[in-house]
Order: sequence, then structure tokens, then C-alpha cells
Amino acid sequence: MSYISHYSCSKKAFISICCLLSLSFMTRVYSATPIINIDIRNHLFIPSEITIPENTKVKLIIHNYDEEDEEFESYELNREKVIIGKRKGTIFIGPLPAGEYPFFGEFFPKTAQGKVIVE
Amino acid sequence: MLLSSVIIILREVLEAALLFSILIALAKHSAVGNHWILWSLALGLVGAIIYGMNLSNISEWFDGVGQEVANAFIQLFIYAVLVIYMGVQVYFKDQAMTSKYWFLVLMIVITSLAMTREGAEILLYFFSATRRENHYVSVLIGMIIGASIGISVGFLFYYLLVNLRSLWALRIGLALLILVSAGMVSQASLLLIQADWLPAQMPLWDTSTFLSEKTAMGQLMYALIGYEATPTAIQASLYLFGLLFPVGIIALVNSKSIAYNKIAETK
Amino acid sequence: MTLVILSSLTLMIFLSALNGYRDSMAKAEQLFDSELIDKARLLSLSFSTQTINTQSNQSLVQHKISAITENDVFAFQVWHKNTLLLKSAFLPDTAIANFKTGFQDNNVLHRRWRIYGLYNKTNNLWILTAERMDLRYILAENIIMGTILPVVIMVPILGLMIWIIVSYGLLPLRKLSSALSDKRADDLSSLAVEKQPIELTQVVISINDLFRRLKVSFLREKRFASDAAHELRTPISAIKIHLHNLSKVIAEDDQSFSQLKQAVDRMGHLIEQILNLNRTSPEQYSKKFTTIDVYELAQNIVVREYAQFDIKNQQIALEGEHAIVQGDVFSLDILLHNLLSNASKYTPEGGSIMVTVSGNKTQTQLQVQDSGPGVPEEKYERLFDRFYRLGGDRHASGTTGCGLGLAIVKQIADLHHAEIVLAKADNSSGLCVRIIFPKEKLI
Repeated sequence: MSYISHYSCSKKAFISICCLLSLSFMTRVYSATPIINIDIRNHLFIPSEITIPENTKVKLIIHNYDEEDEEFESYELNREKVIIGKRKGTIFIGPLPAGEYPFFGEFFPKTAQGKVIVE
Repeated sequence: MLLSSVIIILREVLEAALLFSILIALAKHSAVGNHWILWSLALGLVGAIIYGMNLSNISEWFDGVGQEVANAFIQLFIYAVLVIYMGVQVYFKDQAMTSKYWFLVLMIVITSLAMTREGAEILLYFFSATRRENHYVSVLIGMIIGASIGISVGFLFYYLLVNLRSLWALRIGLALLILVSAGMVSQASLLLIQADWLPAQMPLWDTSTFLSEKTAMGQLMYALIGYEATPTAIQASLYLFGLLFPVGIIALVNSKSIAYNKIAETK
Repeated sequence: MTLVILSSLTLMIFLSALNGYRDSMAKAEQLFDSELIDKARLLSLSFSTQTINTQSNQSLVQHKISAITENDVFAFQVWHKNTLLLKSAFLPDTAIANFKTGFQDNNVLHRRWRIYGLYNKTNNLWILTAERMDLRYILAENIIMGTILPVVIMVPILGLMIWIIVSYGLLPLRKLSSALSDKRADDLSSLAVEKQPIELTQVVISINDLFRRLKVSFLREKRFASDAAHELRTPISAIKIHLHNLSKVIAEDDQSFSQLKQAVDRMGHLIEQILNLNRTSPEQYSKKFTTIDVYELAQNIVVREYAQFDIKNQQIALEGEHAIVQGDVFSLDILLHNLLSNASKYTPEGGSIMVTVSGNKTQTQLQVQDSGPGVPEEKYERLFDRFYRLGGDRHASGTTGCGLGLAIVKQIADLHHAEIVLAKADNSSGLCVRIIFPKEKLI
């Protein structure tokens, strides 16, 4: 019992350190994060292929120009976000090892397709 | 469109249905009746409509990551209430909780909030996907199939739990709740990473070849134990914390409860 | 139970339907893909059999192709060494995909296309055939939906059928259980065996056998008690007459004679009480309740038994109001009689007894208080046991009794679903017996 509570205490400390780290990360790395814009028009991602460098965090800004909402989804990137119609949304991806990471719009998966190529 | 609508609805319904079925099964052992379910469903529906309608504004918060942050905090809030609920459940173990209204409030908060989050996405999907005439039938059928599968799994789960012996039902129910709640912490951490509120890291490992999140089994595991094929270090450690914290609380409460019972007996 | 079957079935049916859907869609994709390949080959063939550079031919084809509208599913481009030879009219002049053999997906003109690339080595030609993904997907889905839709419609029908079949199958069991629960306590008649499924017939037969044996033993016991009591009555009466005759011969103050008389009286009382106990037992009793005014009944009994109190110089008072009870006159008479004679017995000479009747909307209360020594609280429960007498056989009051009085009271109260409350009397150390008849709950 004492072992468990001790353990969770150390976890708590770890979490607060994580949070502090993340704050410092935000302020320091924010300006350096590359930004890539992707449009959604007519249930298509434009461009449908983007290339980002390896081991780098990237900020995707997705503009949805359709009336309908769309959900950016990628199992490979582990990302999921609803982009409301006529609005934009921000998603941070990476750092990632080199490879291809397909993504799709879950609401219109047959047309809204694309992939992130990490080199 | 059918398959994707099945997957979207199934994913959302499954999470809510599992939470519901575990809580309903545990509630049966606390003899609190079933009135609260109706309250949860009604509140959850209202919540989902309000949340879904305002999601476009919420998304704009915090430089376009409001959606992630809001969802993450809803998840963490549900997690916190779940931990309190589990503690209470263990503390009063075999006692009927008929007169304890706040206990019902805990359950209603948990389930209706879960429904709010999951329901909002279903509503958004429904109104987006059916705006085009030619998709109407397949989307609707997909939603029916997805919802039916999710609810059926939930019901079978409930049936399994209810037919276990009382002690085992409590143990297994709690174990499942701990897993589900740890999954919530992991989801919340993923959302915060996506919003850049937690530092991004390289994934620790990749088990997608072993069990992909795309498969039905992967979805079930995602809903049940918060399975992730490619977690980062922060996510994994938060998951572990999410798992151990309620275990610690339950152990603590259990020892207190036993001591309390002993005092009561000697008196 | 129905729900479990239904949800497992739903799960299985929908999962297999989904599997079928996915397979069919994959097959349809293959079909469309092979069509794209065929078209590419056809184009390639038609170009290799004709001379590529015939301008007139090319313009003719292009003219015909331009009739294709933008909503068409199919499009193509034919390239020769980076120069576009032929294309669908609506396509741009740039390549719609990379020159690569095999399939690729690409965005062209705000649409998603499935594109097949074919390289003709002999003429150095690149042929790109393309199909709109959204349209061909809808096409495929519309065909497959025809097979999925009936399944989805069938599931609720199946659910209804399962529900009907299961409830129909369980009907005999439900009927049996309701037949058993509807049985009155004293009804030991056999259950009907007709139209039972085989599985239940044996159960019904066994239950009926049990009922029969129970009935026989019940009857035997009942008959024995009442027969014995009844049979004893006659000799007791005879003995009483002989005693009366003897009293004329023997001196009044002969001690053994008066003791003999007392003993015979006591025995007569005991037999009378056993008969009462038997008559009012729930198994024996057929409920024929009438509306009874308890106050009036109490009045009659007090008047009838007045002599008993007078002998001991006791005061008896009846207070209260008219109050109605659904009950049986005969047994309520016994109840009041027993309560009053108990009160009289345990109250010393010159004491007082108070009978109170009160009623409101929900209940009617009958209360008898005496001014005797009372009963210690811990003995209350035991008072209702048969043949229990406070302080053993010889009570301090020196009165005789058989210990059945309150047992009979209890039995009659139960018969009326009434509650008995024992307490200390208001103004003395005596016992207060309160009988509360509920008004609504009466059956």
C-alpha cells in the first residue's frame, strides 16, 4: 500500500515536470515550428501530399472551405480532429521517423485523402 | 460511406456503451434503481447538441486548438469523477446506496459527460454527411449498424457482469473501469500533445502491425483499455499514472473501510 | 433473455453483413480497376495499329471525345514523349498523374481520380486512364446496398420474431408459476396437466403428487385435533352432570370435591380453546368477511360478560367511537372475549379494565388495558406462544388458564392482517393490548 501511494506521488511530480517542460517548449519552439497550410475544397485535401523533414514538429493549419464539416483523421499519425465547415483548425504533428503517413477526411473518406511524407 | 459511418458511430457509441454497461452493472449491486439512466441519456443528449452546436466557436479558442483542449479537459474531468466514484463504491462495498443522491449524481455526471463528447461528434457527422442527397441511405444504414453493434456489445458486457457473483462483478467491474479511465487519461494526453500543450516526442514503439487501430478489435481495445499503437513517452507514462492512481485510491479506501468496519463491529 | 439472444444475433448479423460489404466493395473496386486496365490497353492497341502521326485521325477522335461531359466517370490522356496526343476534352493539358505503371490516386479538377498508367514500349506511349472515385464508389455502393438493406430491415423483424417465440415458448412456465402463486394457502387441489410441454408435464405431475400427499396429511392432522377436541366434549359434559349430581350428596366444603370440580372446569375450558384455535386457523378458515362495528361488538360482549367482572368487583369501562372493520364476527367475538377474560383474570379484585375503540381513515384501533401487575417487556414476544403462561403453570394471580388465549388472539389478528402491539397501560402498571386493523390493505 505505502509502495503504491509513494509511487503515485513520484508520478505526480513527474507530471508536473512534464507540464513545466511543455510550457517551456511552447515558448521556445513555437516560433521555430514550420507551418503548413492545407485546404479542404470539395472534400479534397489540397495539396494532398505534403513533405516534412524528419524529427521535426510541424504545425498543420487546415482550412475547410466546404459547407460540410470534415474530420482530419490518421491512424498512422495518431491524430483526429473535427474541422468545422468554413473554419480552420490547427494540428501539430511530429516529430516523426521517415516514412509515409496517410491521412484522410473521415466524413468523406473516398475523396478526402492525402499523405504526409517524412524525409 | 457505409463503412466509414459504421466506424465513426461504432467508435463513439462503443466508448459510451462500455462505460454505461459497467456503471449500470455496478449500480445493480448498489441497488440504486435505474432512474438515473434516463437522466443521463437526456442530459447527455442535450449536452451533445449544445456542445456540437458550439464546437465551431470552441475550436477557435487557444489559437485553433480549443477543440482538443476542451475535449481533453472533459476527459480529465470524467476521469476525476470516475476515481471518486470508484473510491465511494469500494468504501460502501455491499451497502445499498438508495438514499445517497450524490452517488447517483456522480454516475449521471460521468455518463452524461461521456455522452456529450461522443454524441457531439456523431451529430456533426450526421449533419455533414447527409447534406448530400446521394449519401443519405448508406450513411443512415451505416449509423444504424454501427450503433447496433456498439449497443449490443455494451449489453452483452452488462449481461456478463450482472451474471457474475457479486464479489467478482465488483472486482471485474472496477478493473474494467480503471482500464477505461486510464484510457481516458491517455486520450486526453494525446489531445494535449496534438494541441502542443504537452511536448511532442518520437513514438516509443509501433505495434500497428500486431494490432492496428483500424481493425474492429483495435477499436474495441481502444475503447476498453485505451489502446494506442504508437504512444509517446509522455502518453505512456500518463497512462500508467492513470492506471495506478485509482488503484492506489482503491487500496487506500479499502483499508480505511475495513478499519471502519472493524471499529463498527467492536462497538 | 430475449435481449441477450437479440444482441448476440444483431452483433453477428451486422458484423457478417459488414464483412460481406467490405468484400463486395473490394470486388467492385477490382472490377472497376480491371476495366480501367482494359480501357488503357484498348487505347494502346488502337494507337499501335494506326500511325501515330496521322493528324486527321487524331483530330477526328478528339472531336468525338469532346462530347464527354464533366460529369462523366471516365477520362484519359495519351502521351508520346511528353507531348499530349489525345485527351478527354475537359482534362487539362498537363499530365494528370506521374508517368508510372500501375494505379495511383490523384486530385484533378477538384475531383479525386483513380488513375491507371500504361506504358506502350513499341510506340513509346504513356496511356493514363482515369475514373472518378466518388462516382464509381457511389455506383458500387448502390449495387451492394441492395444486399445490405434487407439485412438491416430483417434484424428488427427477427427481433420481434425471437421475442414472440421466446415468450410463447415460456408461456406454459409463466402460466404454471402464476397458477402456483395464485393458489390460496388452503388450496391444495391439483393443477391442470393439459397442454403442457413434455418438459413441464413431469414437473406438474410431481407438484400434484406433492399436493396430494400434503392434503392427505393436512386433513389427517386437522381431523385429529378437531375430532379429539370434539369427542372429549361429550364425556366432559357427562362428567359435569355427574359432578352436579354428586354435589347434592357430598358436603359443599369437601376439599377434594371442589378441586375435582375446578380441574374438570379447566379441562372443559382447554378443550373449548383448542376447538377455537382450530376453527380460526388460516388453513381451516374460509374468509367470509362482513362489515363490523367494533364498538358495537365490544359493547355486546362487555354486557354479556359483565357477570365475570362483577364477581371480582372489577370496574369495566368502554370508551371511544363507532369504528368499522372488515372481518368475521365469530372470530372477532372470540378475540374480544379472550382479551377481556385475560384482563379480568390478571387484574386483582377491585381493579379496573378499560376498553377503547378508535378509528381514522387508515386504521381502526381496539385497545384493552388492565390494572394488573403487567408483563415485563422482555416477555412480550413469548406471550403469543401456545401453552405459554407467565411465571409457569401457577400464575401469581392464582387463576387457572391453559395459555392458549393470546395465541388465539394472535391467530385471529393475523387472519385480519391486524397488528398487535403490547405496551404498559397508561395509568397503571397493567398491560395494554392494542390491536390495529388496517383499512385499505384488507383482501
